[in-house]
Amino acid sequence: MSRTGRPAPLAAAAGFRGTVLTVALVGVVGVLAPGCGIVSRPDAAAWDQQAQRSLTDAASQVSTARLALETAAERRTWPAYATVVVAKAEEAAGTAEEDLARLQAPPQRADAAATVLDLLDEAVSLVAEARAHAVEGRYDDSALLDDLDRIAGELEQAAP
Amino acid sequence: MVSPADRNGYDVGLHLLDRQVIGADDRLVGKVDDVELVDQDGALVPTALLVGLPALLPRFGRRVGGGLARAHRLIREAAADQELPLVADFDLIESVGSDVRLSQPAPGLLHRMAHERAADPQRCRVGPLLGMPVRCAELPRRSKLLDLRMVGWPGGPGEHRVTALLVGPGRPGALFGYDRSSEPGPAVVAAVVAWLHRHARVVDLGPGVELDRDAGEVRIGPEASLAPLRG
Amino acid sequence: MKRYFAVLLGILTAIGGFVDIGDLVTNAQVGARFGTSLVWVVLVGVVGICVFAEMSGRIAAVSHRATFDLVRERLGPRMGLLNLVGSMLVTLLTFIAEIGGVALALQLVGSVHHLLVVPFVAAAVWIVLWRAKFSAIENVLGLLGLALIAFAVALWQLGPDWGELAAGLSPAEKPAAEGWATYAFFAVALFGAAMTPYEVFFFSSGGVEERWTSKDIGVMRANVFIGFPLGGLLSVAIAACAATVFLPEGIAVETLGQVGLPVAVGLGKIGLAVVVLGFFAATFGAACETGLSTGYSLAQYFGFPWGKYVRPREAAGFHLILLIATVIAAGVLLTGVDPIMVTEVSVVFSAIALPLTYFPILVVANDPDYLGEHVNGPVANAIGVVYLVVITVAALAAIPLMVVTSMGQG
Repeated sequence: MSRTGRPAPLAAAAGFRGTVLTVALVGVVGVLAPGCGIVSRPDAAAWDQQAQRSLTDAASQVSTARLALETAAERRTWPAYATVVVAKAEEAAGTAEEDLARLQAPPQRADAAATVLDLLDEAVSLVAEARAHAVEGRYDDSALLDDLDRIAGELEQAAP
Repeated sequence: MVSPADRNGYDVGLHLLDRQVIGADDRLVGKVDDVELVDQDGALVPTALLVGLPALLPRFGRRVGGGLARAHRLIREAAADQELPLVADFDLIESVGSDVRLSQPAPGLLHRMAHERAADPQRCRVGPLLGMPVRCAELPRRSKLLDLRMVGWPGGPGEHRVTALLVGPGRPGALFGYDRSSEPGPAVVAAVVAWLHRHARVVDLGPGVELDRDAGEVRIGPEASLAPLRG
Repeated sequence: MKRYFAVLLGILTAIGGFVDIGDLVTNAQVGARFGTSLVWVVLVGVVGICVFAEMSGRIAAVSHRATFDLVRERLGPRMGLLNLVGSMLVTLLTFIAEIGGVALALQLVGSVHHLLVVPFVAAAVWIVLWRAKFSAIENVLGLLGLALIAFAVALWQLGPDWGELAAGLSPAEKPAAEGWATYAFFAVALFGAAMTPYEVFFFSSGGVEERWTSKDIGVMRANVFIGFPLGGLLSVAIAACAATVFLPEGIAVETLGQVGLPVAVGLGKIGLAVVVLGFFAATFGAACETGLSTGYSLAQYFGFPWGKYVRPREAAGFHLILLIATVIAAGVLLTGVDPIMVTEVSVVFSAIALPLTYFPILVVANDPDYLGEHVNGPVANAIGVVYLVVITVAALAAIPLMVVTSMGQG
């Protein structure tokens, strides 16, 4: 009898079951791990993916800010609503830029990184300007709206 | 709804355990966390419902349940009665349907089990019995005691004792009630459960069947008759 | 006359109470990114919740037992505890998301930071649960939730190309920019948002609280089969509005303010005000429902008195659980976590927890011991089994999809 008091064949069966479970667990982890980023991937691919996310995200925030200002200008929202929407867009745009800036750009992406980060930087400052306008209640600055429109287009084009 | 009274017999795990207990004033008392059995001249007779964590925790299995019960004892170290559940004797039961109705109002109704009663070797609980390993040549090796079949019903006239054992592989309760003669659907689920429990059997208590509480196992000899679950 | 009024009230509160923060956020997100190509999931989810809510309502009416009451009887204490822990965690997560949603809705009104509002919202929810009558909570908040019809009106006013919207209903019309894995992930999330587990706990416990009998089955069925699908239409309207306004602009929805913008575009300030009232009613109502469901599941597992129909003194344990749950929810929100992110996680985990809830319902609904002659007919069983398979597939696929798509970021 083994230490647990069970007959030997049962203990062997338990051991076999344990092995199967371990193998299954490792298999599952092996399949999921690349998605988690636990297993390291080629730098360029990871950077590209983050760049695409940040650019798409920033474009979305810029467009949101523009839409919020436009609807506020048409008196279709009240001031607090427009301010909250634009403020959150500013926050999210800043996060999108930080998420990319935090990643070390691989050597083959050095030039692209500079361009993209500049673009994101401009987007963030334009959205910050939009928020300042919203707080003041200045919704009809057509220059700002045009800028937001332009930068949204550039962000979408830059997304690979 | 068919009550055990009309059925003339019931399965303890299926029809009594974990049911809601309600007082005469419609106040909820608790769940049937366990059932107390008394050994009367070889027959196992149910005598009381047990309510409370001291009755519930041991039902989680030998290791997990034991661990939880130990933790519960530690938390309430100072109380002398922390191992003892609350008791509702069967004479308090008025009717058993989808819930268990008591004949008196709920407040202050249940009393804590006395130490002597807990230490009485003639008494045992259904919980530790369910899941006991079964040694039988005709059954798969990992068979366990799944349920206890009774004749009579709580608070009813006539004899009321364990008449048969449900044994088979799997855990108690995993049959979801598909072992009774009534055929609940859906057909697909019933078919799957029936296939999973194709080795489950009913064995009448009698010669060849020994329920050894001390050794913690059920021994079934060749002279016992094993009937299939349905029909 | 009074009876017709009662039936109408029941249907209206079912419509207004159908949408919660999970539906608001997920439908808007899906509409903005996928157009109408995921609307079929909402339809599948609505049929599913109708079928299972009807079953659990029938169980409550005939056996006077609530769903979670029966889970322990059917599955035994061990599996029942696993079920309890899983369901309670998901419901608690949803409770946190709903309270966060209320705070966000109030922020849109007054521009106060939502964190400042959270303690007051939590306190208000707890006081309502402690003091207000069950029917008052259901009726008032359910009717106010009808304000979300503004989404349907706004959609009309926005004047989208209806042919294009209709053509977009096919999954093949998924925007090329989004991958199939992301599509599948949002399908699971949308499914979880439509078929939330707490809904059946609340519905059946409410039925027991209101002392339904088999005579009430007809009215219950009217509420479910008319009210829930119309509520589902509201979800579709939210998605369609987001598709009309956001999809062409490439805007992804991540805040509650964005969810309401299409209504501002379509209807202006008044429409927006109505919709924000709808946000408040839907989230506050759902906060009450999930809070109560947390208490129901725990009390029904251990068997101690529960419910709003007994005086709080008689169900002290139940109300203590509600208080603790509210404090936990406020605490989690005050860490500054984004309520929208909590919402997104809660709908995915709702999808994972669905089999735990629905399997026991299907089994009990077939048991003549509980339902007598009102057991499931072959149609209900057929649909029930099909949905059990769908639910299991969704539950198993949820976590891998969540990991592979990084919560839908793709």
